[in-house]
Amino acid sequence: MPSASTWAAEAAAVFVKEWRCEFRTRYSLNTLALFAFTTLVVVSVSLGPLGVSFAQGTSVLPVLLWVILLFSVAAGLPRTYVQEEETQTAIALRLAATPSALFCGKLLYGLTLVFALEALVTPVYVAMTNMTVRSPGLLALALAAGGYGLATGSSLVAAIIAQARSKGTLFSVLSFPVLLPLLLLAVELTRRAAAGDAAGVALPQLLLYDGSVTVAGLMLFPAVWNP
Amino acid sequence: MKNLLAWLLWLWMSAVIVAAFLWAPLAKGFIGQSSRILFFHVPMAWVSFVGFIAAAVWSARYLFGGRDPRHDRAAAVAIELGLLFGVLATITGALWARIMWGAYWNWDPRQTSILISLLFYGAYLALRSGIDDQDTRGRLSAAYALLGMAVTPFLFWIVPRITYSLHPDPVVNTQGKVNMESRMQIVLYASVAGFTALFFWIHNLQCRLQAHSERKSAPLE
Amino acid sequence: MPSLRFENVRRRFGRLAVLNGVSGAVGPGGMLLVTGPNGSGKSTLLRCLSGLLAPDAGAIEYREEGDEPLDAAERRRRVGVVAPDLAFYGELTVKENLEFFARLRRVPAAKGLAVLDRLGLPLDRFASALSSGMRQRLRWGWAVLHSPRLLLLDEPFQNFDASAECIARELLAEHLAGGGLAVVANPSALDFDHAERLHLGG
Repeated sequence: MPSASTWAAEAAAVFVKEWRCEFRTRYSLNTLALFAFTTLVVVSVSLGPLGVSFAQGTSVLPVLLWVILLFSVAAGLPRTYVQEEETQTAIALRLAATPSALFCGKLLYGLTLVFALEALVTPVYVAMTNMTVRSPGLLALALAAGGYGLATGSSLVAAIIAQARSKGTLFSVLSFPVLLPLLLLAVELTRRAAAGDAAGVALPQLLLYDGSVTVAGLMLFPAVWNP
Repeated sequence: MKNLLAWLLWLWMSAVIVAAFLWAPLAKGFIGQSSRILFFHVPMAWVSFVGFIAAAVWSARYLFGGRDPRHDRAAAVAIELGLLFGVLATITGALWARIMWGAYWNWDPRQTSILISLLFYGAYLALRSGIDDQDTRGRLSAAYALLGMAVTPFLFWIVPRITYSLHPDPVVNTQGKVNMESRMQIVLYASVAGFTALFFWIHNLQCRLQAHSERKSAPLE
Repeated sequence: MPSLRFENVRRRFGRLAVLNGVSGAVGPGGMLLVTGPNGSGKSTLLRCLSGLLAPDAGAIEYREEGDEPLDAAERRRRVGVVAPDLAFYGELTVKENLEFFARLRRVPAAKGLAVLDRLGLPLDRFASALSSGMRQRLRWGWAVLHSPRLLLLDEPFQNFDASAECIARELLAEHLAGGGLAVVANPSALDFDHAERLHLGG
C-alpha cells in the first residue's frame, strides 16, 4: 500500500493543478464573483436606501446571504468535475489517480473557492444592507462550517451529474434536497450571530452534517468515479 | 400461493376501509368525520418513508454487493412507489388541512418534510432519466440514494424545530406514545400493516414486469 | 513475470452486443494484435482490459509478480494506455502535464520527459496548442511514465509522421524485449509478423 505521505502529495498535486488551471483561465473566479455581486446589488437595491430594521435584519438578511452564496457556488463549483468529463481529461485521471486523493484535492480546491467567496461577499453584504451583527465570531463560525458543507455536498453531487446529460439543470435539482438541511442550519446560526444569541443546538448539528457529508463523500466517491 | 396472499391482502384492506368508516370512533378535537382520513393519510406517509429506506438498502446492496441489476431495479421501483404514496399522503394531508385549519398548505414541519422527500424522489428519477448506460445509471443513482439517506435525518430534526407545528401531536406523534382509543389504534395499525403489504406487493409486481419487458427487448445471445 | 489472460469477455451497450465472449492470452515479451472491421469491439476490448470499462461477463486476469491477479483498480493504475480519446489539460504546458501525472503516479517525471525528447516534442508548449501528431506523442510519453509492464495501444501511430512512427515502433520493440506485454488494436500498418492475432468478427 502506498504510504500516507505520498497520498497527501497526490492530493496536493490535484489541488495545485486545479488552481493553476483556474488562474490561467479565471473562469470559475469570474463566474462566482460576477454572480455574487450581481445578486448582491439586486438585494441591496430592493431593500432600499435606508436598509432594514433590526428585526428584519435578523430574519430576512441571513437568508438572502446564504441564497447568494448557494447560487454563486452552484454557478462556479461543478465545473471542477464537469470539465474533466467534457474535455475527456477524466480518462487519464481514472487511469492515474487514487480516487480518495482526487476527491480530497478537488474538495480542498472547492473549499478555498467557497471561503474566498465568503470572505469577499460577506463584508460587502453586511455593509451594503446595513446589517447588524452582534456576534461576529459566531458569524465567522457559521460561514466556515456552512461553507464547508456547501463545498463538500456540491462536490459529490457535481461528481455524480458530470457523467449524466443536461448537467446544468441536474446539478440544481440534485443538490437542493441534499444542501437544504445545511442551509437551514447555517441560516439559523447566522440569525443567532446577528441577534447576539447563543449558538444553541444548531452548531453541533451543523458540524454533524459536515461530518456526515464528508464520510458519505469519501465512501461513495470511488463508486461514483470508477466503473 | 401468491394468489392466495393477494386475496388475503384484498380482504384485509377491504376490512380496514369498512372499519375506518363504520367501526372506529371519531377522534376528539377533529371537525366532523375528518379524523377518518387518519387511517389512510398516516399509513401512506409511513409507506413513502419505507420506500426511501428500502431504496437505500437496495442501493447499498447494488453498489457494494456485486452490482446486481435486480437490486438497481428494486431500488428504482421503491423510489417510484415512494413518490406515488408520498404524493397521495401530501394530497390527503392537504385536504384534511383545508378542513381543519382552513388552508391546503401551511408550511407545517411535517408538510415541509414530506415535500422535501418528494423533491428527493423526483431528483433521483431525474438523474436516472439523464443517463443512458445501464451500469452508469445504476451506479450513480445508487450513490445519490445513499447520499440522500445520509442527509435526510437532519431534516427530521431541524425542520420541526424551526417552524411551529400545527400537526395534531396529542393524538398522533413521533415519540411513539399514542393517546388514542383502542379501536382507533387497532384500525390504524391494521391499515399501516395493510398499506405496507400493499407497497411490497406492488413493488414485486412492478419489478417482475420491468424484468420481463427487459428480457423481451434484449438481444438474442 | 507478467501475464495477461482474458476469457469469455462480454459487453453490450443497450441492446447492442459489442463483445460476445472474447478470449485471449499474452505471455512475457508477447504481443497480441487485435484486428477486425469497424464496430467489432476492438476499442471496447481494450477499455475492458485497462479497467476503464467493466465487462458484463467473463474474467480478465493480469498478473505482474506472483500468482494473484490484480483487481480492476490496481490494473487501471498499472497499465500504460494509448487511445485516441485520451486528452490532457490545455491550460498546462506539456511539461506541466507530465509532471502532474507523474506526481499522481508517484514516479519521477524523467522517463516520460525522456521519451518525449526522443519523439521530439517541445516541452514548454501549451497542450491546447499541439497539432494532432504532437498530441499523439504526448500520449506516448504519458503512457510510459510509470514504466508499465502491460501496454494497451489503440491506434498507437495515429497522426504520426514517418519518423515518429519509427521511433514509437522502436519503443514498442524495446518494451517487448524487456519482457513487457502489449495488446495493440488498429495500428496503421499491420505488419507485426511475430505477433499473435485476435480477430473480432463484424
